[in-house]
Amino acid sequence: MNMQQAIKMTAAETALVDAYTAQIGDLPGDGAVLSLRDMLVDELKTAGLPTRRVESWHYTDLRTLLRAVPSADPSAFADRVDPIVPGSSVLSVRNGQADLKSVPEGIAARSYTESLIDGSAVAGLAVLGADDAIGRINGGLVRGGLEITIAEGAEFQAPIEIQVAQSHGQAHTRFPISFGAGSKATVIERHLSTNAEASFVSSVSDVTLAEGADVIWIIVQQQGPADTHLGQIRFDLGKSAKLHLFVINAGGKLVRQELHGRASGEGADLTLRGINLLGGESHTDVTFTLTHAVPHTTSSEIIRNVIFDRARGVFQGKILVAKDAQKTDAKMACNTLLLSDEADMSAKPELEIFADDVQCGHGATVADIDHTQLFYMLARGIPEKKARAMLVNAFVAEIVEELEDDEALVEALEGVISAWLEKHA
Amino acid sequence: MLEIKNLHARIAEDGTEIIRGLDLTVKAGEVAAIMGPNGSGKSTLSYILSGREDYEVTEGDILYNGESILELDASERAAKGIFLAFQYPVEIPGVATMQFLKVALNEQRKYRGEDELTTPEFMRRVKEAAAELKIAPEMLRRPLNVGFSGGEKKRAEILQMALLEPKLCILDETDSGLDIDALKVVADGVNALRSPDRAVVVITHYQRLLNYIVPDSVHVLYKGQVIKSGDKSLAHELEANGYADIIEAAA
Amino acid sequence: MPAVQETIDQVRQIDVDQYKYGFETKIEMDKAPKGLSEDIIRLISSKKNEPEWMLEWRLEAYRRWLTMDEPSWARVKYPKIDFNEIHYYAAPKGTTGPKSLEEVDPELLKVYEKLGIPLKEQEILAGVEKSKIAVDAVFDSVSVVTTFKEELKKAGVIFMSISEAMREHPDLVRKYLGTVVPQSDNFYATLNSAVFTDGSFVYVPKGVRCPMELSTYFRINERNTGQFERTLIIADEGAYVSYLEGCTAPQRDENQLHAAVVELIALDDAEIKYSTVQNWYPGDKHGKGGIYNFVTKRGDCRGKNSKISWTQVETGSAITWKYPSCILRGDGSRGEFYSIAVSNGHQQVDSGTKMIHLGKNTSSRIISKGIAAGVSDNTYRGQVSAHRKAENARNFTQCDSLLIGDKCGAHTVPYIEAKNSTAQFEHEATTSKISEDQLFYCLQRGIPEEQAIALIVNGFVKEVIQELPMEFAVEAQKLIGISLEGSVG
Repeated sequence: MNMQQAIKMTAAETALVDAYTAQIGDLPGDGAVLSLRDMLVDELKTAGLPTRRVESWHYTDLRTLLRAVPSADPSAFADRVDPIVPGSSVLSVRNGQADLKSVPEGIAARSYTESLIDGSAVAGLAVLGADDAIGRINGGLVRGGLEITIAEGAEFQAPIEIQVAQSHGQAHTRFPISFGAGSKATVIERHLSTNAEASFVSSVSDVTLAEGADVIWIIVQQQGPADTHLGQIRFDLGKSAKLHLFVINAGGKLVRQELHGRASGEGADLTLRGINLLGGESHTDVTFTLTHAVPHTTSSEIIRNVIFDRARGVFQGKILVAKDAQKTDAKMACNTLLLSDEADMSAKPELEIFADDVQCGHGATVADIDHTQLFYMLARGIPEKKARAMLVNAFVAEIVEELEDDEALVEALEGVISAWLEKHA
Repeated sequence: MLEIKNLHARIAEDGTEIIRGLDLTVKAGEVAAIMGPNGSGKSTLSYILSGREDYEVTEGDILYNGESILELDASERAAKGIFLAFQYPVEIPGVATMQFLKVALNEQRKYRGEDELTTPEFMRRVKEAAAELKIAPEMLRRPLNVGFSGGEKKRAEILQMALLEPKLCILDETDSGLDIDALKVVADGVNALRSPDRAVVVITHYQRLLNYIVPDSVHVLYKGQVIKSGDKSLAHELEANGYADIIEAAA
Repeated sequence: MPAVQETIDQVRQIDVDQYKYGFETKIEMDKAPKGLSEDIIRLISSKKNEPEWMLEWRLEAYRRWLTMDEPSWARVKYPKIDFNEIHYYAAPKGTTGPKSLEEVDPELLKVYEKLGIPLKEQEILAGVEKSKIAVDAVFDSVSVVTTFKEELKKAGVIFMSISEAMREHPDLVRKYLGTVVPQSDNFYATLNSAVFTDGSFVYVPKGVRCPMELSTYFRINERNTGQFERTLIIADEGAYVSYLEGCTAPQRDENQLHAAVVELIALDDAEIKYSTVQNWYPGDKHGKGGIYNFVTKRGDCRGKNSKISWTQVETGSAITWKYPSCILRGDGSRGEFYSIAVSNGHQQVDSGTKMIHLGKNTSSRIISKGIAAGVSDNTYRGQVSAHRKAENARNFTQCDSLLIGDKCGAHTVPYIEAKNSTAQFEHEATTSKISEDQLFYCLQRGIPEEQAIALIVNGFVKEVIQELPMEFAVEAQKLIGISLEGSVG
């Protein structure tokens, strides 16, 4: 988009620019950070929010879909809630305020606000590209978050839950997190709203895995039914680093979760699993890009969508194999159950390949519940409603069970899923 | 127990008529064999009896214990005691066999107004039945029928039958794809369930299975009709001479 | 597999880096001055003796086109086209429309003979050629001859150039033209609507099975001309027609523009099978010259249980931008797309299809095979969508790419959109290189590498080749082998 002339701003665009203007003088940052913020907000003013004409926003016309943005409320307060997996170490950011009371051993953590103030955050605030609307909004408005360093070789018994909660208004957070060589951890990045009032959330996680790090990173999005959630995770995988990235969307009204990664070291491996539970009139977009930058890297992606009511699902996945990234092995699948005649799903699984010695593939299916399976269950005396619920649950449970090494985690995630399904199915 | 009267049925999607005026009566305690060449409507009959919606009954009736079941859906028929052992048991990834069995058993009990089984009681019954059928316990933890061999799938069907204790058992080509040892295990499982208040309908292409599950009556199905009925000697006759003579005689 | 053997033989015969259709013919031409304006459009329209409504239609498109921007979403790169540096009309002198064979300039007939296109009905009838194919030969801007017209007429089939059809069957043309690809559909289609010069028109009446294959052969000869043909095919209720299209151009250093529009309409229970072997000049090994092939092809399954099937073998052109599509409007209608796209040297291909499911119980099938070699880029771009009322829509897509060498790129960009819970879509895509095992096996059996590759590639594309009419299948296999020459080592 090369629109230089100023556009006529929508209500949401005006609200975002106003939120920025209202906070000038109050937003944390040194000179460099503040001038970068100015530039990002200027870009927002001139280019506006992305429309469907921007290819990466083809199915999520943010300019049209984002009708309003609630104003920031400095007095908002969110209670701390129990972690998903009992016994997790909880690091929380509530209404933008970092809480560093219980930092476990092996972790160095500080408030991201400090990185803004001392200017060390400036490099990470740059947008990923002209179409990086989330990076732009977040970079302009971010106030807090956590900067976390996991020590080399550190291992943890319990999961680390990064709890990002707000009650209403706006919350813009960032999480630069680096995992030292050979470290091993399970992190749950959890977003939730503590009440049903509308909130507008942007959050960017910037995750680096050094050589041999082995990380399970689970994003659990449980925003309220009126909320807009713009999430982004950027990750970089070093030599032989292993990331199991798991995304569960079980909330929100307008949701875009971006996952942008790069396999930078030989032997790096990504497993991406996504479960999108959509109902009501929500719009949920998961957009994923992965660059296999060097030879001998592998990735496998499975996304499962369950769509009820008038909900709309979007999955865009792009695997890019760079020139010389020989011996790449990448498989991507996106499967959708459309469970209502008013539901809808758009998928765009892309391959962009510049190296010849590769094995890459993708598959996508959209279907209703398998009628043969349903009949089999009915023939065993299971009533239709129950049989359908079991089949829907089975469709997503399958990929949770891959985390079988951690029973408590599997149980917790299954709990998140069945709670959602009970409410919506 | 089962009375099929002048049944006509077709494929719902394209209207192809498969069953064309079929009459059949099976009494409690009876084992009835239904034989016929490929395409005679054997499997379709098993689906219609168990209530698959891909078929439409256009004429006639199916009475089960004197009541028409045409208005009941598949799960209601199952809960009333009609069990179909599938020719091709369906794989359901993500649903553990054990979980499936428990839900099926308890839903049927609920429908009949019985109490749900406690978990220990359920486990006891499953273990007992599994041992009889030489089914290893770890198989029951795997997703239903996923990655089971042909023989394992058929044994799992008989296991379900033993647990659900149906009144009318329909075995659709249960012998297909089984070696002789597996066939014996399956036949023993079926024979163990024979009782004066239970009827069994064995659908098969070959006489082989009937050496192990000896029928009281044999019915030849051709072009959607029973064209000949007899006792077990009819099966031997078919084995020796094929279907051609009977089809000709009926024509 | 005799067909594969034939490919190997062909590959053996031909020198590397040679486009065998690259010759130029010196024929005196009647050309419009360079550039585009309302006057040029009036000139084209008057050259063709068109009715007034047609001129108005063209001018409307032109005015619309002036407000449009060139599309930029495709994965192709090329310098900006100066639309005023193109001749929009070029015809062999003295040709105002198709004539009988006897009247056609012998020089022109020689061109088609050299290209291997059968225009001589007598020879065909005498059994010199293998089977009967009616041909409409288009040379630059005009149709020079259409064969077998009389015989087709007996069957009730109308097969003639579209300019002729406009005069002889104005009602049919007016009723259907622009109903599948509207005037303002996209930048190139709108340009075509303004300036199209010729093309073929086919009407197969109710219940008629067209007695022979119909084909059009396009040849761009003249320098600095664009070719803008327009094809309109209508299969009335219960009719069937199989249509073939072939294209070549001389070897030139400049880029030439080809912006065609093809519209297919299938009414109740009708079937149209449309096959293309596209072998426009691809440019030389340094990427100089070649045709810009920016084409809009769309079929409308307007009637119930109608069927449209596209088969394409794309081996030529410097840039291909082409998405033969099906609108599955009629209940029970079916669309098919079978494609082989080969790119070598500096070629850029961005091609695929759209299957738009609107009616109930519609089905579609997409089989796409992309082969990239040299420093080329080969993109499959496809859309499958089921609308709210498209109950039981079914799609199966298989889209495979093969990379030969490590300097090319293969890309897959599918758009899958389901708005109906009874839709069932299945999409599979793979990208890989020729298996070392297969290659080694061939080498070990004494087959040289280049031939082994041709052999394996022919296996890779077999599913699509099978969809082509016999005569085209053989030609297509030859072409694929030729196109991949020089891709090894």
